[in-house]
Amino acid sequence: MNITVAGVGMTKFGELWAASPRCLAGIAVSAAIKDSKIEKKSIQGIFVANMLSGMLGMQGHLGALFAEELGLSGVPAYTVEGACASGGLAVHAGVMSILSGQYETVCVLGVEKMTDHKPELVSSALMGAGSNEERLAGATFPGLYAILARSHMEKYGTTEQQLASVAVKNHFHASLNPLAQFTHPITTEQVLRSSCVADPLKLLDCSPVTDGAAAIILTKQQKASGVHIVASQIATDSLGLAGRKSLTELASTKRASEKAFIQAGVERKSIDLAEVHDCFTIAEILAIEDMGFGKKGEVGKLIEQGAYTLGTAERIVVNSSGGLKGCGHPIGATGVKQIVEITNQLRGVCGKRQVKNARVGLAHNVGGSGATAVVHILRK
Amino acid sequence: MIGIVSYGTYIPKYRVHTEDIASAWKKNPAEIIAALGVKEKTVPGVDEDAVTISLEAALQSLSCFKGKPSAIEALFVGSESHPYAVNPTSTIIGELLGVGTSYLASDLEFACKAGTAGVQMIAGLLSAKQIKYGMAIGSDTAQSKPHDALEYTSASAGSAFLMGSESVAVSLLSYTSYSSDTPDFWRRDGIRYPSHAGRFTGEPAYFAHVMGAAAKLFEKSKLQPKDFDYCVFHMPNGKFPREVARRLGFTSGQLAPSLTVDHIGNPYSASSMMGLSAVLDVVSPNKKICMISYGSGAGSDAFVWKTTTKLQALQKKRKNLHGLVSQQIENKTYVDYLGYLKQTHKL
Amino acid sequence: MSPVKIWRNQKHFVKLIGKTGSIISWTMIRVPPDGFSQQAPYPLAVVRLDGGVQITAQIVDWEEKELKTNQKVTTVIRRTIDAAADGVIPYGIKVKPI
Repeated sequence: MNITVAGVGMTKFGELWAASPRCLAGIAVSAAIKDSKIEKKSIQGIFVANMLSGMLGMQGHLGALFAEELGLSGVPAYTVEGACASGGLAVHAGVMSILSGQYETVCVLGVEKMTDHKPELVSSALMGAGSNEERLAGATFPGLYAILARSHMEKYGTTEQQLASVAVKNHFHASLNPLAQFTHPITTEQVLRSSCVADPLKLLDCSPVTDGAAAIILTKQQKASGVHIVASQIATDSLGLAGRKSLTELASTKRASEKAFIQAGVERKSIDLAEVHDCFTIAEILAIEDMGFGKKGEVGKLIEQGAYTLGTAERIVVNSSGGLKGCGHPIGATGVKQIVEITNQLRGVCGKRQVKNARVGLAHNVGGSGATAVVHILRK
Repeated sequence: MIGIVSYGTYIPKYRVHTEDIASAWKKNPAEIIAALGVKEKTVPGVDEDAVTISLEAALQSLSCFKGKPSAIEALFVGSESHPYAVNPTSTIIGELLGVGTSYLASDLEFACKAGTAGVQMIAGLLSAKQIKYGMAIGSDTAQSKPHDALEYTSASAGSAFLMGSESVAVSLLSYTSYSSDTPDFWRRDGIRYPSHAGRFTGEPAYFAHVMGAAAKLFEKSKLQPKDFDYCVFHMPNGKFPREVARRLGFTSGQLAPSLTVDHIGNPYSASSMMGLSAVLDVVSPNKKICMISYGSGAGSDAFVWKTTTKLQALQKKRKNLHGLVSQQIENKTYVDYLGYLKQTHKL
Repeated sequence: MSPVKIWRNQKHFVKLIGKTGSIISWTMIRVPPDGFSQQAPYPLAVVRLDGGVQITAQIVDWEEKELKTNQKVTTVIRRTIDAAADGVIPYGIKVKPI
C-alpha cells in the first residue's frame, strides 16, 4: 500500500479547561488542512476517533457533529471506536477507504475531552475498554497493567527502577516537544517516590488524563518527497486479561506488527523510530519486546542504560513525542497524534527532538489491556 | 423421625476487641467486659451481608449432604438484617444454591429467633410429609448504634440446618413455642439502628420467655433438666445464658459447649443455632440437647434434640473442611474500632 | 446497575461458586473506580481455577503473606459494585485464600 500523509496537525495536549471538543477539533483540522495545502472541499470523508464522548458527555454521532462543525456538512463521516486504539483504528479506516477506491482524500480526526468529569468517573468510563468481569471486580487500568507488570517482574526480574526509567525517558522527550502535556524532565527518584496507584505502579508510572485533538489528511496522490503509510494492520485478543494465554506479552501487538512488517516489506532493523503505546511504563517495555525491538525480558535494563532514548539510542528511538506518558493521552487522539509525530520526524522538522536520518517510522496503538493492537508503518 | 440431616456454619474472619470499642468512648474496658462477659465480637467484611453469610452456611451444609440442592423443597431465612425490606433473601440463596424452582421460599423476621421459627415451620412441613427436605437459616450482620451498649455484642454469623426425615443426624423429639407482645427491643421500618428499653430487656423479656418456653417444653416432653446432656440458649451476652441455665436447674457443664458468645458475641438470628452447632460438633450419639432461642418482641422457640450415630460422619466431614465452629472461631484477624466502623458501613 | 443485567450476570457466576484455583498475578487497587471506594484498598487478581478457566476477581479475607503468585484460593460470593440506595444489590465472585 502507499497512502500519502498530505498534512498533519494537533492541539497542545493537556488540561485544556476552556477548550470544547469542537474547539479542539477545529484547531487540529485547520492545522492539518493548512499543512497539506489541499483545499478543504477536496475532503471526501471524515473518520472520527473518540471513546468517551457518549459515555461521559452523552454525545454520540460525532461524525455528523464534526462534519458540521468543520464546515463540511454533507461529507461522509463516522466514528471509529476501539478504546485507546480508536485513533489507530480510524487511521486504518481512512487508509482502507482510499484503498477501496471510493475516496481519494480523507481527514482522520482523533479528539478526546477527559477533564470535564471527576477522576473516579473517568476511571470507571475507561474500564469500558475492559470486560464486565473486570468492571465488577473493581479493576482499573492501572490495576490491569500492574498485574502485567508483576508477571513480567516475577518472570524476568524487571525492576521498579527500570519501569521508572521509561517515565524518565518519555518526560525528557516531552520536554523537547512544545505541544506535550508535561514540559519538564523528571528523575527516577521522583517516579519511585510518587504515590502508589496499583502496586507496583505509581502515579508517575501512569499516563495522565488529557484533553487534545490530532488530525491528518490522507490522500491517494503520490508526492515524490512526501511521507507515505506503507502498512496498516490490526489484531485482536481476548477482551479481558483473564482470557490471555500469557501475562508477559501482548499477543495482539506481536500479531499486528508481524503482519505490518510483511505488508510494508521492511525489516525491524530498518525502523528508525517508533511511537508505542506507553499508557503505563510496563506497556512500553512490553511493546518494544513484543515488536522485536529488544529481547524479551531485557528491555527494562536496556532503557535504564539509555537505549531507545534521543541522544543515547543505538538504533531505534521510542516515543520521541514523549509518548502517552509525557505528551499526554487524550484517548481517541493518541493514535492519530502518533502519525503526526512520525510524519514530522520523517520530514525532519522536529527541531530539538529530531531523530537523525529518520526514514522509516512505526506507530503502535493499543486498546484496553491489549484486546486491540494497531500498527502503522510510514516511510519517506 | 424428622430432624437435622446436615448443618453448616459461617463465622466471618474479622474480630474487634471490646477493649477497642470501650476506649473509643473513653469507657473502662474491664468494667464492660465484666458486665457483658464478651471480650471480642465478629465483624463482617465490608462486602458481606446476611445474603452472603447465609449462602456460606448453606453451602457448607450441602457439602455434607449426599443429595442434590434440588431436593430442598422449603427454604426459610430468618434475619434482622435482610438487605431488602421487600425482595426475599431466601430466593437469592435458593438460586445460588441451585435449588431450582420447585420450593417454598420465605423470609422471616422475629428479632433473634427468626431462624428457629423457620426450624419449627420446616418441622411441620416434614411431619405433614409435604416436603422431604427443608433448610432453615439464621443469619445476621447485626447493627447497633455507636456508643450504645449493644455495640459491644452485636455481631455477625450464619447457621443453616438442612432438615429431613431420612438419615437424620440429630432427631427432633419435641418442640414448642412461647409468644407475647413485649416491646423490649425493636427497629422501625426505615430506621437504621435498633432501639431497646434498657433493663426491661432482662426479666420481663429474655427471662420470662425463655423460662416460659422451658416450662412448656418440660411438660410436653416429660423431661427435666437432669434428663438432658446439654443445653443451648440464645446468647445476647455472656451473662444471660449462664443465669437462665442456673435458674432452670442446668449445670455449667451442660451449658459450656454451647457458649459461642464468649468468642463471637451475639450474631442475632444465628446465635442459638450457632450454639447448637457448636455442641453438635463435639458430642457423641444418643445425647439429648435442650435448645431455647429468644427473639425480642417477644418469644422463645424450644426444642428437644437427640443426636444419632449419623452425626459422627458429619463431624468428621466438617473437621476436614476446617468448618467446625471451633475452627471457624480460631480463624480470625483483628481490626481496630476504625476498621469496625468502616466494615459495618458507619463511615 | 440494571436489575435485568444483574439477573443475567447471576446465571453466569453461579457456575463459579465453590471452585478452587491459584493466583497467577495480582495488584493492590489503591485508587478505586466509582462504586468501589468503600472497599478500597483491595487486592485484585487473575486466578486460574482448577480445570483451566481464568477469572479476574478481588481477593477478600486476605493476610499480607497470602498475596502472592501461586497462592491457593477458593471462590466466594460477596457484594461487588456499590448499589444505589434504592437499587438492586449486585453480588458476584471474589476469591479467598485457603
